[in-house]
Amino acid sequence: MRRLLRIPPAYYVFAVLLLILWVARPNMLNLNVMGIFVRQIVPLGILVLGQLLVMRVRSIDLSGGGVILLINYTISSGVFPGASMIFLIVLALATGLAVGLFNGLMVGVRRASAVIVTLAVGIVLVGFVQYLSSGKPPGDVPGMFGDIYNTKLGPVPTPVIFWVVVSAALSLFLSRTVFGRYVTSVGENVQAAHFSGVPVARTVVLAHTLAGLLAGVSALVQTASIAVGSVRVGLDLPILAVAATILGGVVFGRGEGGVWGPFFGVLSFALLFVVMTTFGVDEPGKLIAQGLIILLAAIFYGVRSRSS
Amino acid sequence: MTAISRRLTGARGSRQGMWLLPLLITVAIALWLSLQTKQFLYGENLLNLVPQAMPLVITAVGQMFVILLGGLDLSVGSMISFTTAVLALGGPAWVLIPTVFVLAGLVGVTNGFIITRFNVHPIIATLSMQYILLGVTRVLRPVSGGTVPDVVISAVAGSFLGVPMPVFWGIFTILVAWKLVYGSRFGLHLFAIGGGVSSGVEDAAHNLGIADRRNIVLAYVICACFAALAGIFLAGRIVSGDPNVGLLFELDAITAVAIGGTQLSGGIGSLHGTVIGALVMALLANGMNLTNVSPFIQTTIKGAILLLVVALQSRKKMGL
Repeated sequence: MRRLLRIPPAYYVFAVLLLILWVARPNMLNLNVMGIFVRQIVPLGILVLGQLLVMRVRSIDLSGGGVILLINYTISSGVFPGASMIFLIVLALATGLAVGLFNGLMVGVRRASAVIVTLAVGIVLVGFVQYLSSGKPPGDVPGMFGDIYNTKLGPVPTPVIFWVVVSAALSLFLSRTVFGRYVTSVGENVQAAHFSGVPVARTVVLAHTLAGLLAGVSALVQTASIAVGSVRVGLDLPILAVAATILGGVVFGRGEGGVWGPFFGVLSFALLFVVMTTFGVDEPGKLIAQGLIILLAAIFYGVRSRSS
Repeated sequence: MTAISRRLTGARGSRQGMWLLPLLITVAIALWLSLQTKQFLYGENLLNLVPQAMPLVITAVGQMFVILLGGLDLSVGSMISFTTAVLALGGPAWVLIPTVFVLAGLVGVTNGFIITRFNVHPIIATLSMQYILLGVTRVLRPVSGGTVPDVVISAVAGSFLGVPMPVFWGIFTILVAWKLVYGSRFGLHLFAIGGGVSSGVEDAAHNLGIADRRNIVLAYVICACFAALAGIFLAGRIVSGDPNVGLLFELDAITAVAIGGTQLSGGIGSLHGTVIGALVMALLANGMNLTNVSPFIQTTIKGAILLLVVALQSRKKMGL
């Protein structure tokens, strides 16, 4: 019983939603249909990987929305006419890396408030895009991005496989490397980590830098998925990423859910969307249901963590 | 020199946080504006400034209570929209206005209860509440419309003894908040609980015999009620209910609180700092409009100032 209660809420939510779908709409449950729905959530899934990394070192990253918006704008507006795809990808990753490094230095070295710093960086980036675009939507995304996005490996869309591979890589990285141990020890107790010789500041900076890089990757997938540029894309993703991460059992400093807990947190968001769409729930109903499910899962998990 | 800079950025032992520097920034912006543009000192512009700033001042003051004890309330934006929607339902003002505050109180109690009894992180608890409230608001009023009771409109637009009404809203807000923070046992407990949370000893206040859960719930109730007050004010200004009027307001409120030197880790901050923080943001918006700064670059400038102010604050520990 005790063991059962240690499982992060994301798995329960996922199982319950799957059961509802299986009972109500069994014909939806095939790889083709689910693949399409899961594919849409991949940008959030990759952003969550970065979020769980920073949340495990007791920080938070709310700048992901700004990074996604900036990269989306750069690629779709043709600021670099005739640029090759490799150049755009490198540019996107470099942007993410730079923003992440800045966040990390502010939080880890300067010890500024993580919520405010990353929020402010997000605001600056969003404002920068507004300034560049003057509010007008940019042009089309180069076709190559969409072509790659639409490929499939057997019945499974490539972006989904990519997501699983990146998640597995991060999971291995956290469990097998020294850095992974540092992340765990900083999360457990910052002071104890410091006195045991763990380079706390460097670990936090590196975690933020990696989160920025992952935000860049997420931006590329998001850009490929929408084909036409937008000045509003991705703005609600960071806060959703925080919710999915917590559903997955990773709360500030505590990493019980590992990488797969948040992974299933994102999957349950995708499934929730499917369930509500098939039952014809309207937009206000979706908001209420989303809030209630996050809340109930968190309450369930919170009660458990207090009693243990 | 170091003494001056320490005074400006808030000494390490200070409970008030950094509020002097934001005040200087405010004065500097005001001076610069009055030199730059003649319109700034025109009575008309100054009269507009107060009602423009008031919703943010009220919401930020409410937000300060939960931030002082190391929490965060992301549901205030939805609370504002919800309030305008309820007020525009139609009905006598003496029913609607108490209803709004009762509902706000319920929202606050729910937030606080979930956080204290069920041990849910404040960001998650209030984020869920934000979604739920926004959903309910959109059921009540899918698009903006309806009319607000006349009393509310005249309480915002009118003037008393030649002084415009919004000024009285500000005085009322500050007086109530001042009494709560500096004139009551509750205020002391706020700092005690927040100080414990920020130094990593969550049970510190509890072990001293402070009823921490009750005080935390009360802080969330106060925050929701101030948000409702801001909602009533806004409803009076736009004369109708609008499901989107409070969108992203929680971020503005948190920004104002942070600019005023209140630490998001809890335990350090001040009421005057928060009011100054909200005024900085209002002055900036007003000034950039007057000097014809492109509205598209204004967001960036706002973010950059927030970044600057936060980078200047000295903190002992890393964290949220």
